[in-house]
Amino acid sequence: MTDQPEQHPVTGLDDVVHQRVRLGILTVAHQARRVEFGFLRTALGLTAGNLSQHLAILEKAGLVDIEKGYEGKRARTWLSLTPAGDRALRDEVAQLKRLIHQIEHGSSTPES
Amino acid sequence: MPLQGTPHEVLAGLGELTRKVRAAQRGTWFPLLLLGVLMLGGILVSRFTFQVLTVPCPATAPAAGVGCTVVKQGSPLYWPIGIALAYAATAFFYIRRSRNRGVGTPVRPYILTGIALLGVVAATSFWSTRHGIPRPGEPLDFWGLHLDPSSEMTRFLERLVGNATAVGLPLLVLSWVERSRVLLLLTAVYVAIELVPLPTGWSGIPFTSPWFFLPRYAVPGVLLLLGALGFGLAELPRRRNAS
Repeated sequence: MTDQPEQHPVTGLDDVVHQRVRLGILTVAHQARRVEFGFLRTALGLTAGNLSQHLAILEKAGLVDIEKGYEGKRARTWLSLTPAGDRALRDEVAQLKRLIHQIEHGSSTPES
Repeated sequence: MPLQGTPHEVLAGLGELTRKVRAAQRGTWFPLLLLGVLMLGGILVSRFTFQVLTVPCPATAPAAGVGCTVVKQGSPLYWPIGIALAYAATAFFYIRRSRNRGVGTPVRPYILTGIALLGVVAATSFWSTRHGIPRPGEPLDFWGLHLDPSSEMTRFLERLVGNATAVGLPLLVLSWVERSRVLLLLTAVYVAIELVPLPTGWSGIPFTSPWFFLPRYAVPGVLLLLGALGFGLAELPRRRNAS
């Protein structure tokens, strides 16, 4: 017999993406296409240091591109999702939906 | 940041964040204001370009051989230039706002639709320059389409290719990119007003009056301005919260 038990959706969650702050960053960047550090900090209610740490993890994982520059004398940091980041967010949301389906119906494959 | 708890709560938190970003991206009042002003400007252009001309009547008309009165109103440059400026100003407004707020703009499809429509308007102007403006009652051969000027279909097409498309289609695209059902509803009302078949003189203003086009532009123009006011007022609390 080669039948393998169906994997639980929890095993499909990526630790880098699933962390709540990073999931928030990816969601905002996905909708905004391009988002500035200050907007992210306000939208997510974080300190600058905390946000920087999470951005460094996402950048290292190749999920976001970070672009630093100046507008006049003001330093600004913009970030955007990479194609891998976009895919990772979609996968995460799909896994969460599977998980909800599993909890509600006992099977991890949503009918759609 | 409500992104913890059950998967349901996490997804709800993501939805809430997405809504917050969309709210910061919206600037619907500005294009509505420009298009409303452009529409009302059409009244003045019609007024100041008003001309009564006498031309030979078509051979089929009862008064054939005698002079017929034709009213000429409007400028062929007003709408193409006005709409081009409105789209350019909207693009500038959204890009500037995006820089100030620190969040990307979703307006590119709206501007691209506007540019494509301007191409169509330019092609139509080119066609009419080559073929001349058709005389009253004359059949139209437009790029393979044989149109009978007296048929309901031709009249519907005339209304459709006018402001209903030049203004309505970009607004439809804007309601999609901004995920705004209210704007979608406003666009539907606008397009319905532009497409409704109205008999000549329905407003009580004779077609020989310089103000004949007033209700034709005032009704959709005021609708767009009211929409701009409504969206602007709806945005005020968000702006106060952000500052």
